[in-house]
Amino acid sequence: MNNYQLGLIMNSCISVIGVTGVFIITSLAGMFSLGQAAYMAISAYITFVVAKMFGIPLILTAILGLAVSGLCAYIIAVPTLKLRKDYFALITMGFGEMMASIIVMLDKYTNGSIGFSRIPKVKNVFWIVVGLTVFVLFFAWALKRSRFGRMCIALKTDETAAKSFGVDTYRMKITVYVIGSVICGLAGILYGLKNRVITPDGFSWNLSAEMQIFLFFGGTNSLTGSALSAFFLKLIPETLRTVRIFGISLQEFRTVSYGLMILLVINFRPNGILGTKEFTWKGLVAFFRRLFAKKEAKK
Amino acid sequence: MTSSGLSSHQHKINMWLQLLINGICLGAVYALIAVGFAIVFSVLKFSNFAHGGMISACAFMGYFFQARFKTAPPIWVTIIVTALCGVVFALFLDMIAYKSIRKHKSPNIYYFLASLTISIIITSILNVFFSKNPLAFPMIFKTTTFSVGSLKVSKMDTMILVISVVILVALMFLINKTKIGLAMRAVAINPDTSKLMGINSSLILVMIFSIAGSLAGVSGVLLGCKYGVYPDLGQTMMVKGFIASVIGGLGSLGGAIAAAFLLGIIEMFWTFLFGSLSTPVMTFVVMLLFLFVRPQGISGKFAKEKV
Repeated sequence: MNNYQLGLIMNSCISVIGVTGVFIITSLAGMFSLGQAAYMAISAYITFVVAKMFGIPLILTAILGLAVSGLCAYIIAVPTLKLRKDYFALITMGFGEMMASIIVMLDKYTNGSIGFSRIPKVKNVFWIVVGLTVFVLFFAWALKRSRFGRMCIALKTDETAAKSFGVDTYRMKITVYVIGSVICGLAGILYGLKNRVITPDGFSWNLSAEMQIFLFFGGTNSLTGSALSAFFLKLIPETLRTVRIFGISLQEFRTVSYGLMILLVINFRPNGILGTKEFTWKGLVAFFRRLFAKKEAKK
Repeated sequence: MTSSGLSSHQHKINMWLQLLINGICLGAVYALIAVGFAIVFSVLKFSNFAHGGMISACAFMGYFFQARFKTAPPIWVTIIVTALCGVVFALFLDMIAYKSIRKHKSPNIYYFLASLTISIIITSILNVFFSKNPLAFPMIFKTTTFSVGSLKVSKMDTMILVISVVILVALMFLINKTKIGLAMRAVAINPDTSKLMGINSSLILVMIFSIAGSLAGVSGVLLGCKYGVYPDLGQTMMVKGFIASVIGGLGSLGGAIAAAFLLGIIEMFWTFLFGSLSTPVMTFVVMLLFLFVRPQGISGKFAKEKV
């Protein structure tokens, strides 16, 4: 594979990590966050700017970046999660807007809206990205199946009922939000490593919305579904970039087509493509068995 | 500038007054947006992110309506036509996105997603076609300002203020004094019970969407006149409307209006003192502080989630 193809796969993997972060927040705990791109921005900028300023190795600043985005998530979550759910979406969205303008404000360090491009080249980025994607997916899978994850799902399905069973919903929501935001932060750092330039526009509101769309398209409650949809929805438009309609590249209609797909899903398959089903080997084998069994029965 | 006869003290007072006036005018625009957003929230209990996209779309509709004529029609014709377009557009969106959610009785999160998606679709379609050059409405006034005493007031801002206040007053009258308004408030409290009381709930929902659409139309034209027409216009202004309605107490129209004016004035002063770059940070911090101190918002009605 050449570098271009590797780059495409890396982009898709980064999108999978981001969507996994959103999955933990939205699908496990039922919170609708619209500011996840802000955490990507925080982590990425802190990692690369601090590394450049003080000459600290990237691995240390990356940990610092993740810690700061976790801290920001905590600060946002504490007052907001006491209120009803609708406030949460609005406030996270406002937070995203604020982050973008803070980055432009600190242009002495971040180089403002032109973008910060003094990112050192790292060897084996591809394997780092793929490895971390696998790790994050495994983590989310384990989290979903753990006692904590089951408590989260109970909380999502019926908060009052979960409360009456002694689940501390407020603290759990904060924890979930911090975990999800740190994972999104990781996606931001990898984005910077891969592209070697980060701009405030790259982490705009649209990115946060795009991640939600990927999640809902794949299936709100299905980790594999949303990961697959994040991977392929990111990949397919890139491969179609040479196709043109009315003289405008299909690439430009990418966001429009995402939106139209979501409208179709909402109207005809309200739980997303996979719904609550997980995509497993066992399920696949069973599916093919049933398929063949039907064919034989027809004969 | 002020004449040399004025003492520096008076000069300062004049400047603050000037900022206050500009802030009130800005607040009027925010109020229109915040009300359009809050009215949908109060009845359907979801944050209508599509409002920003609708504002952008209406601004473009208004612009192209205006551009069709050689001599530009008076601004009120454009506003009315755009408001009607906004109504049609809102009903269309309701049909393609929200109707099936209501039918399936899906959880609230789908409303979020649907409105978000619509907003993104509108903005990105506009971006594909019109991102190259921002458009501007033709000048309405020959001179841009008139003076009251030693203060200079922008004619455009005054027009926006007057139109917004008229519309807000009419809307408050409709909701608080008429039978239709009573029905709306009843549906907002409990749609099922109000159905039992003989209120046509689905008709009321349609009306709510039409009102929100027409408000988006009006604010689209006004914003287009003030800031020029570009695809992200609604998106950037919508955040201010959201913040105003959060500060005012989600779903409360009066609170949203009060908060919008407050926000406009604070923003004007802040921009004057500390520059415009940090205003988004300031508005966000104000909102967060407000939620800490008074989570029920200015209105004091706390919209509780029902079991």
